[in-house]
Amino acid sequence: MRKKVLAAIAVGIAAALSVGVPANASTASNAVLSVLHGIPDTPVDVYVNGALTLDDFQPGDLAGPLDLPAGAYEVALTAPDATDAGSPVLGPVTLTLEAGKNYTAVAHLGASGSPTVTPYVNDTSPTAAGEGRLTVRHVAAAPAVDVLAGGSAVIQGLANPDEASLDLPAGTIEASVAAAGTTDPVIGPAPVEVQEGVLTIAYAWGSLEDENLELAVQTITGLHSAPDGVNSGTGGQLAQRDMFQQWMWAIGGLAVAAAVAASALVVARSRAQR
Amino acid sequence: MARAIAGVGASLAIVLALTACGSPPGAAPSASAPSATATATVTADPTPAVEVPVAAATPSPARRPVPPVRVVAASIEVDVPVVPVGVEAGGFMELPADPAIGGWYRFGADPAASDGNVVISAHVDSPAYPIGPFSRLRDLPVGDVVEVTDAAGDMRKYAVESVTYYPKAELPVDDLFARSGARSLVLITCGGEFDSRTGRYADNVVAIATPIT
Repeated sequence: MRKKVLAAIAVGIAAALSVGVPANASTASNAVLSVLHGIPDTPVDVYVNGALTLDDFQPGDLAGPLDLPAGAYEVALTAPDATDAGSPVLGPVTLTLEAGKNYTAVAHLGASGSPTVTPYVNDTSPTAAGEGRLTVRHVAAAPAVDVLAGGSAVIQGLANPDEASLDLPAGTIEASVAAAGTTDPVIGPAPVEVQEGVLTIAYAWGSLEDENLELAVQTITGLHSAPDGVNSGTGGQLAQRDMFQQWMWAIGGLAVAAAVAASALVVARSRAQR
Repeated sequence: MARAIAGVGASLAIVLALTACGSPPGAAPSASAPSATATATVTADPTPAVEVPVAAATPSPARRPVPPVRVVAASIEVDVPVVPVGVEAGGFMELPADPAIGGWYRFGADPAASDGNVVISAHVDSPAYPIGPFSRLRDLPVGDVVEVTDAAGDMRKYAVESVTYYPKAELPVDDLFARSGARSLVLITCGGEFDSRTGRYADNVVAIATPIT
């Protein structure tokens, strides 16, 4: 089982490791990958194509984001005190990464405590102006949970390895995690900031039985949208005043024209009378 | 003593091993297995070949913006306080009810931000108030200076680049509310024909000013 886990980690990390550069948004031909290490007490070294890429990768740490060309990567995992990839505890494995998506590969415990890996696709579609997105992922060795915000359940019955997402007005919520159907927190309450235009991903990881449940948080920016428009006048007084002034100009103009015409007439008459 | 020497020897071995591992600048990243020499120095811990950002998966505090509190365009007698605003129901930019108060779009850039436009808007008029100072935005001459003061007391100057009427449906919101790129000041109000049935003006009047450094 441990081998399997490490393989899974290798897959996730392999993608992270190659030629990546930090990035937040996937481009047409690339993918974006982050890797979360959510298995307690199991640090590893990660080699990609024979080169050490992640040294002493610790539980609770997040690697990436990396902008990666689609393709295959060969990865080997070793114990953290290994001096090279010569005797991997797992691998090498080949990872093929698909273009156009934003992933987080999470190495974590399954509901019953056996290690596994889940590749999640992050929803980076645009959020409405004024809102942010909160995604909650259950990657802990624990039964189904409710997620509470301000004391009431906003996500119910979330089981490992499921996820749930909410678009919320930007702001800070006081979030806690409780066994499904209860309100007694097993994690939190802790402030979780939902930033406008940002995907905030909260992971519940660790083990309930081992009493090392923790919260990990990943953020992905750049989802924002502009407001639909600006309605910046509702009275109409300016338009009225403008119209009034136009009329005044028009009336004034007519008056001037009339005066000119009248004078001309007077002059003409006086000339005629001579 | 022998132990100390052994220790020195071990240190040297590490140094040598590190040297052996390091590639000269410009060399292609080595994909081959470490050399036999390096392997022999069992105490050497190699360093990663490429840099991968790794950090604890904990909430990173967002940058706290410094809101603008006052905007002055002396040439058109605009000197108004500014308050942060967001989005109103329906998705439009929220605005202070009083046309004599500007609203700064708090989800966009603040004047101190390194990226993106600072958007400040005010009603041109409103049934319960007199016509507002932004009614004179349309008369703002290109090249004039607009001053924005933020909550920290810093004042920044911007030079007017354009004043444009947009039919409301054609307001280029993605450009005006851009979060990256130019650090322009964008002043928005209403103008054009007023439709008394809808209580809406036909156009937005948009002044764009660029930072004077």
